Amino acid sequence: MTDSNPFADPLRFERQVPECAIVIFGANGDLTKRKLIPSLYRLAYERRLPATVSIIGTSRTPLSDDEFRSKMHDSVKEFLEDSPFDEDQWAGFAKGLHYIAGDLSDPKLYSAIKDKLTALGRTNVLYYLSTQPSYYGEVVERLGAAGLGHTTTQGWQRIVVEKPFGHDLASARELNERIHKVFDEADVYRIDHYLGKETVQNILAFRFGNGIFEPLWNRRYVNHVQITAAESIGVEGRGAYYEEAGAVRDMIQNHLLQVMATVAMEPSAVYEPDAVRDERAKLLRSIRIMHPEEVPSHAVAGQYAGYRHEPAVNPTSQTPTYAAATFYVDNWRWAGVPFYIRSGKKLPKRTTEIAIQYNTAPHALFTPDAGGVIMRPNLLILRIQPEEGISLRFLSKQPGSGMRLRPVSMDFNYGSSFGERSPTAYETLLEDALTGDATLYTRQDMVEASWRVVTPILEDWANRKFEFPNYDPGTWGPAAADDMLARHGHKWRNS
Amino acid sequence: MNPTATAMDPEKILRDLRDLWARLAQDRDGAGGVLRACSMTLIVVAEPDDEADAETARKTIGVLMHVHPSRAVVLTPRESGEFSARVFAECWMPFGGQQQICSEGIEITADSEQTDEVARLLVPLIAPDLPVVLWCRGPRAFLDRSLDPLFPLANKIIFNTRAVRHPSSAIEFLRRMRKEGGKGRRQVADLAWTRLTGWREAVAHLMDACPGGWLAAASGEVRIEYGGGRPGTRSLYFARWIERALPGVNVTLIPVAGGPGVHSVVFAGCGSETSIRLGEGSSLEVRTAERSYSAVLPPDSEECLMREELSILGRDPVFERVLG
Repeated sequence: MTDSNPFADPLRFERQVPECAIVIFGANGDLTKRKLIPSLYRLAYERRLPATVSIIGTSRTPLSDDEFRSKMHDSVKEFLEDSPFDEDQWAGFAKGLHYIAGDLSDPKLYSAIKDKLTALGRTNVLYYLSTQPSYYGEVVERLGAAGLGHTTTQGWQRIVVEKPFGHDLASARELNERIHKVFDEADVYRIDHYLGKETVQNILAFRFGNGIFEPLWNRRYVNHVQITAAESIGVEGRGAYYEEAGAVRDMIQNHLLQVMATVAMEPSAVYEPDAVRDERAKLLRSIRIMHPEEVPSHAVAGQYAGYRHEPAVNPTSQTPTYAAATFYVDNWRWAGVPFYIRSGKKLPKRTTEIAIQYNTAPHALFTPDAGGVIMRPNLLILRIQPEEGISLRFLSKQPGSGMRLRPVSMDFNYGSSFGERSPTAYETLLEDALTGDATLYTRQDMVEASWRVVTPILEDWANRKFEFPNYDPGTWGPAAADDMLARHGHKWRNS
Repeated sequence: MNPTATAMDPEKILRDLRDLWARLAQDRDGAGGVLRACSMTLIVVAEPDDEADAETARKTIGVLMHVHPSRAVVLTPRESGEFSARVFAECWMPFGGQQQICSEGIEITADSEQTDEVARLLVPLIAPDLPVVLWCRGPRAFLDRSLDPLFPLANKIIFNTRAVRHPSSAIEFLRRMRKEGGKGRRQVADLAWTRLTGWREAVAHLMDACPGGWLAAASGEVRIEYGGGRPGTRSLYFARWIERALPGVNVTLIPVAGGPGVHSVVFAGCGSETSIRLGEGSSLEVRTAERSYSAVLPPDSEECLMREELSILGRDPVFERVLG
């Protein structure tokens, strides 16, 4: 709803997605069936999409509209998260599903899309690039050549680009240039689904909506920060992709640096897309770039035993399935505070969390001699998955005689405090893109800044020969990662 | 002799609540326990001596707790002077969840003349540091002053003027309540206003879809058709809302046959008319010079309306403007 509308009531009215079409490139792929269509169905189920929304799937596989609908029906039933499936609702939603088979390099595909959009009478169009990343530039150029992709007074044309956005700084810049020939930056939505997660958004609410935490959110009180994204599974049939990407490109360059930016950024003056993104970008630019000689002591690569036997994986692969790094933020708030980031596959459990460890009390009043006390620093845990919530660890007196202290945890569980189902990250982000809200999407300068941060690591590792494998599945990664923290007197929070 | 409110010990009710949670934890032994959820105290006043209304209130609270977990207090006034209290829990398993979530409730039956005492009893029963919402379900608040002692307990008071006999007086009462509550200290809401959200949203979207449409409307007149023989609070709110949004526009209320409530709104200006009419089922038929379409009205069951109201615990500037 426009600001000038005298009837607006943002407290009560739902955001309105206008009549539009969504064109998905790569409609036969995993992302479409696991995330995109289930999320769109759920949005429709909640009446957050107009009843007339059109979704056009494209891919090389020949399928009729009905075959595509039937395939998506099965996918939605299988992959819908925390939500029942309603056949009647599906029947209405499926009427808006269409399919066009074609080769991404063939101009006829784009003519067919244009004809379909004209036939459906849709002038607002969201294009979704869910293809192999190597096609991104070509698809955009062909859209432009077909006369699609330019926002006009008749309607908007936006594009969502899935990660990875480039495979290094140079390729990211090149892709940006190709996209900008067709789409204005304001119409480019680079998706990082971590930013769409409720708990990641809640970091901002937690920090800037409360008065008690922000004063403690700086180098005077914070000893160090750990950001962990652990997966218990391996590459699960995505060996070919993973061989190209590795842990740094797959997780750290995008998701985890964005999470770090959200944890460490300064408050923006207003909660508006560019104001928030300016602060995130500023933080990313403040991360100290490692000197090449610092990489061996500031970053650790790992590969789990058995990775080289996975399908489509080189038997002598040097691709890291685990990466850990120490970053510093060169600004007044964070100077000298290490940010430890790690991500790995085949670790003991699936968990994504941010642990903020505070300095210990300045004076040890309760000494171990006076009653077997374990002095531990306060720890604030922001859990992103699987059990979204926030915990604060502090010391408490153990009941009984004497002054024995014991760490206890005060928990906030997202699911139990709000009985309501949380939207999935893709639901949030798709609705945002359809309503033109780019707050949770990354911008060109953010992408480039994060590539700059990881470039020294990638360059160093590309020229090194690792003694892989160096960790067993079900363990917390290579010993060198523990050593990296131990040098600072710190320890990973492995729980 | 029946116990009176003064004789009741709130400590005992709180002890009963503690025992209830201990029992719930034992019942779920080995299954991970239950999660206790509470985001507010919701005090619900049922109609006096109306067991059916109390039962409806309990059912509505059961549904509401899934979205707005609260310590619920259901208060049923009785003429008989009888006083009793019991505690209960509402538990549910979230879809796909592993652990049951439970919220707690207290049912109090009290002499309808003893509201002062009941208000004193309620003070220690309020969940500390959380908002307190008072929901007066029936028209009683507008008929006598017996509920007044409960008002200072609440951060937000939700009324329902749907069935009041004198709509203008009811609105005047709410305006006074709002002013007495002060800015930001105590909010006042009316489910009759909440029922208008679908209509208002349709108007707002219509204006968004027709650039300049509201300017045209502002230069013309607006006709609101209502049923039920006389304009109820809903129609009056709707008219005021349009007047506030388009100062200077002439809004006319026109009676038509049919049930109570708004039946249509017509914006006439610059030689064209734009209308929104109640369609079949729960839909609105929107007609402009260029096109026609349907919009779905949100469900107006009590739990849906309350769900919306409980989501707004701060100021509601639009409703405040309408109340004046």
